[in-house]
Amino acid sequence: MGRHVGIVGVGQTHHSRRRTDVSQAGLVREAVDRALVDAKLTMEDIDSVVVATGPVLFAAVNQPEKWVADAIGATMKPVVRITSGGGTGLAGALAANYQIAGGFADRVLVVAYDKLSEGALQYSISTLYDPFWGREFAVGIMGFSAAYWRARMDVLGHTEEAAAMVAVKNRRNAMNNPYAHVKKEVTVEDVLRSKPLAWPIKTLDVPPISDGAAAVVLSCEELAAKSTDRPAWIHGMGYFCEADNAPARSMLVSEPLALAARRVYRAAGITNPRRQFDVVEVQEPYTCFELSYYESLGLCMPGEAAELIRSGATQVDGDIPVNPSGGCAGANPIGAAALIRLIEAASQVMGKAAGNQIPNAKLALAQAGGGWANLRGIAVLGA
Amino acid sequence: MLAIPDTFPIDLPPFKSDLSMPYTLTPGRAAGSFLAEIGKRRIVGARFPRSGTVVVPAQDFCPLSGESDPELVEAPATGTLAAFTQTGSGLIALIRIDGSDVDMAHRIVGATLGELKIGLRVAAVWSDVGAEGVLAIAGFRPAPQAPIGLIRPLEGAGKPVDVVPYKLNLHYEHAFGPYYGRLFDEIKHNRRIMGVRTPDGEGAMLPPREICDITHKPTGTWVEIKQTGTVRAMSVIYLEFIGQKQPPPYIYAEIMLDGASTRLIHNVAGVDMSRAKELVKPGTRVRAVWREQRTGALDDISHFELIPDGK
Repeated sequence: MGRHVGIVGVGQTHHSRRRTDVSQAGLVREAVDRALVDAKLTMEDIDSVVVATGPVLFAAVNQPEKWVADAIGATMKPVVRITSGGGTGLAGALAANYQIAGGFADRVLVVAYDKLSEGALQYSISTLYDPFWGREFAVGIMGFSAAYWRARMDVLGHTEEAAAMVAVKNRRNAMNNPYAHVKKEVTVEDVLRSKPLAWPIKTLDVPPISDGAAAVVLSCEELAAKSTDRPAWIHGMGYFCEADNAPARSMLVSEPLALAARRVYRAAGITNPRRQFDVVEVQEPYTCFELSYYESLGLCMPGEAAELIRSGATQVDGDIPVNPSGGCAGANPIGAAALIRLIEAASQVMGKAAGNQIPNAKLALAQAGGGWANLRGIAVLGA
Repeated sequence: MLAIPDTFPIDLPPFKSDLSMPYTLTPGRAAGSFLAEIGKRRIVGARFPRSGTVVVPAQDFCPLSGESDPELVEAPATGTLAAFTQTGSGLIALIRIDGSDVDMAHRIVGATLGELKIGLRVAAVWSDVGAEGVLAIAGFRPAPQAPIGLIRPLEGAGKPVDVVPYKLNLHYEHAFGPYYGRLFDEIKHNRRIMGVRTPDGEGAMLPPREICDITHKPTGTWVEIKQTGTVRAMSVIYLEFIGQKQPPPYIYAEIMLDGASTRLIHNVAGVDMSRAKELVKPGTRVRAVWREQRTGALDDISHFELIPDGK
């Protein structure tokens, strides 16, 4: 075990469908300025910077860390870029955590962003596939995600109604999130009747496409008090991969997520996640993923996800609230989405989640993922 | 020790993959203002008030001090040569516009390599109407007599350009290697789908590969995979997107061929699309339908069709 690390400052942009008033780097700057103010620090106090980005083809800028470092005033500082699909924000935070825990830096700034309005999203995502094997038939990750949701319906009972309840919950929660850009309540009927995109995935199962950025300041224990008397301490964090097309994979539960959860829970002393966590933030690119993650994260047994959402337990006033921020349903700048989940979870245990605050939240779980099903990670944060 | 594949070297030309990605990039306020004014033969820079740094062309953030929110200024069309090189398509130089604290890259016109010297005075040569963006300046020419220009307040500036259309055309050539090489050669010439046995010999992997992803042991010998299989997962695609190969609706399917232990992504077709959800499910039996044309790709299989008696 290395040094203790805490999140001491967070910032995100007011996400929107299209920001034509700022460049990609300008968007990052907004989030960084907010995170530094929140941490009561300036760039001079930062030892090292991690730039987390989604796939380069989303935005046509290769080696964006060069551009971003200039725009946030981080020239002449150590900079690394982490890119790991949609979960890249959490992977970036993990890299920052390692730097501080290992004693190589005292304060690290993590930035993550995507300006999805600038590129052709599904086409770009299709290039994640093997050019020889599958790319020509890929439909972004939506075709894949819908197909395995269909398979989970038969085996695990993840019905269209259950997923619709996730959409209703998250979109309602997003109403209280000042940074969300989709603020419209929907009913189960609305979701079920919405236009199919890749059935069973329908329009209202899908998050918006967003422009947005997020930034987090991590600090060692010794210096944390300069920023806040209530950091979000990192009790455990991990990010795991699995083989893409290995023999005999069911794809019905997220194996890398279950692996990450098992490993990190052990490190963080979590033996009963449903009872111990006060709040959970998951990165649900589509509603069906939230159901699947309930099971992989051990919030319920496999096959019980539909009952868990139906019971109301994951509502803001339930015993295990999931996505009080609204999750990706409120805003989904993909490269930033995982870091936003971490920010929302940290804000809960720091007691500054404002309209989304779960009373007395002391222990939070954040989940993230990238590369259709291959990369999954979690973080456990405590007050 | 890696096993030598019991295959034959196949000299396939590389697989060509062309991507053509459209973008609408946003330059931001300062660069957007530069782009708007350059068409009017004005060069816009940015002055950062705290440090006094001047950056030409204009940027939203100072690369030296990290400041934001600059005052936009009009820069002169003259400067000095800071660096230069000869390229196949002409002379390229770094030019320090008078009053700027950073260099800008551009072409040199109306001069030969031998005439250039660091410190040479240069002046912008404007393009004829029609050139866009920074190419509204055709290049910089030697101008030994040009007086030192001054940075002035930017007056009467128009609305910044907020969106710049852009396109990335990317051409890749992927090597097949021995495993993909044999797989696609067999598909093309023999209409056979070849996998390799898993290390325990129980199943087979498609696409064939050298090492098993789970056990990390070398894979076994080549084996022909049946052209019938079972749908493991499916969805009905209604979404339209750029780069799509066929018009929706169609059925996306992940299929486990008989004898294989891995999935294949393809389409199921030839079904009444109004009943697609009922007709195609996890567990549905399908078989490959080949195209006439033989290109040696997975797309040589036109689609998978339902096996009428479900066997």
